[in-house]
Amino acid sequence: MSHLIDVACIIDDDTIYINLVKRIIESKHLCKNLLIFENGKNALSFFEAILNNPKKENIPEIIFLDLNMPIMDGWEFLANFIRIKNNFGKTITLYIVSSSINPLDIKKAKSISDVKDYLIKPVTIKELESIFSIH
Amino acid sequence: MLQNELFNNVLQDFNTGYWELYKDPYREIWSKKFYKTLGYSSNTIQPDIDYFLTHLIHKEDLDIFRDNFISYRLNNINFKQYIKILNVENKYQLFRCSTNDELPVNIKSEINFIFFFEVKLEPDQAIIKDNFYYKETAQMTSTGSWYVDFHKKESYWDFETYKILEYPDDYKPSLKDSANYYSEDCRQLAADCFFNCAMSGIPFNTEIKMVTLNNREFWARAIGKPMYNENKEIIGVRGVFQDIDDQKRKEIRLQKSVDIIAAQNSRLFNFAHIVSHNLRSHTSNLSLLVQLIEDINDPKEKEELIKEVKTISSNLNTTIEHLNEIVTIQTNNKQKKIPVKFKESLELVTSGISQIINNNNSQIRTDFSELEEINYIPAYLESILLNLITNAIKYKHPDRDPVIDIKTYLKDKSQFLKVSDNGRGIDMSLFKDKIFGMYKTFHYNKDAVGIGLFLTKNQVESMGGSITVESQVDKGTSFIIEF
Repeated sequence: MSHLIDVACIIDDDTIYINLVKRIIESKHLCKNLLIFENGKNALSFFEAILNNPKKENIPEIIFLDLNMPIMDGWEFLANFIRIKNNFGKTITLYIVSSSINPLDIKKAKSISDVKDYLIKPVTIKELESIFSIH
Repeated sequence: MLQNELFNNVLQDFNTGYWELYKDPYREIWSKKFYKTLGYSSNTIQPDIDYFLTHLIHKEDLDIFRDNFISYRLNNINFKQYIKILNVENKYQLFRCSTNDELPVNIKSEINFIFFFEVKLEPDQAIIKDNFYYKETAQMTSTGSWYVDFHKKESYWDFETYKILEYPDDYKPSLKDSANYYSEDCRQLAADCFFNCAMSGIPFNTEIKMVTLNNREFWARAIGKPMYNENKEIIGVRGVFQDIDDQKRKEIRLQKSVDIIAAQNSRLFNFAHIVSHNLRSHTSNLSLLVQLIEDINDPKEKEELIKEVKTISSNLNTTIEHLNEIVTIQTNNKQKKIPVKFKESLELVTSGISQIINNNNSQIRTDFSELEEINYIPAYLESILLNLITNAIKYKHPDRDPVIDIKTYLKDKSQFLKVSDNGRGIDMSLFKDKIFGMYKTFHYNKDAVGIGLFLTKNQVESMGGSITVESQVDKGTSFIIEF
């Protein structure tokens, strides 16, 4: 079975959530490679490191970003990432995936044009499938 | 020139003498009844204010009436006053004098009136009676009056002012000493009010902290207005002090409780947010897991996934335990405070974690000489010390053994505890707002900043104190608690 996309990226500190999403992606063959970072800082370091030498196979088509994380949260990552986002020679679509139902968070996320959508946890298998299939 | 019929009737009913005050040019028209009551005819006297002030009014009433008249003329400030006026038989007759605000509320007049109601009492009797009421009022409302005469350069107090300010009767009040009547932080306000009144004629009405001769501070309402002479020059300032200490202190107490309630409310709101968020992260994992179990057909894989339920449930339990701890803080602050010795509290804590301390070669140095004990909930002090010490060890510098300095001190009448370490420090520019926050990861990530500092902050604040942090990366961190 062919994969829908090559690389997806999850930035989240919740290991259980990551394991579950990983299983779904594997069982549904949604993507070939999955990049996982447990906070914004690690993710940002990765993207900054490959910025000078981007190999297409390393760059994710989709990023699922959590908001509430230690060390560097989703907002801070977003602010830094938007500045370098267009230098990878590949379209990167960014989703926020958070358990926060705070209307302020949702409003703030929707006001950022680089954020495609705000997904409230729990995500459903169907949601994931449809996100991967439109790419 | 009366506005309408109704108005006319009212004046008739008043059955009393009055003046109508006009501008451009300034003049007064005296009513027929006014002449009649005093027995004059219009051609024997000169019906204007100068003649009235020089010839007709009793000199005892002159100054106050002149001030009232000028204020009414210039600024429409209504007044009421008793005055004695010389009649045609060369005897003084007593009148109660009043202005437009005496008119029934539904009657509006375009011009200013002064009414002169005849008082049938014997003048002496009335004055004695007046004086009695005045003293009674002053005493019952703790209101003292005062007067500063610019020409004589003298200040006067009435009996109640002496009493309120606790000065002996033979004390001579003076402008030079007047700073002493106010508390230090209010002297500027007092000076500004008085200066503006004396120079520009701006009346004042303000709350101010005063000081008695016996150094007792109290809240007073201070009211003052300028006094004018016939040339409309300010010749003095007259006013009252009212002791409003009881009310003001109640107001301040009330404000304090409002502040406490607001702080509690914001903590509760914060708590509700934390509850919602922390529980949601587990329930959403549970829901994702259930989806996955339903979606998978292989029974072996299904069984494996069911094991995950155990992990989620134990995480959920830990979260609820932590939330419980926070709730306990909110209710525990009603516990009794008792004197707690820092040394004893610390010994309890260090004996409980002696293994952690020894394993990390930690050194704890203390100085409780300035403040040996405080009134506190013992369990809180222990919890605060425990959290700060374990934190210092957990975030020790990789290149050196932890050294923790614990010191108590007094500053500006407040009690402080300072816990400093030589650890790896915190980048304040990045984490200033997050140090005392509760991270989503606290419940299962052993290395992340845990619930500890969040609890500490809640405990300190629920006791009415505050906690701050100073830190430098690679140098160390200090937590300072003001009790």
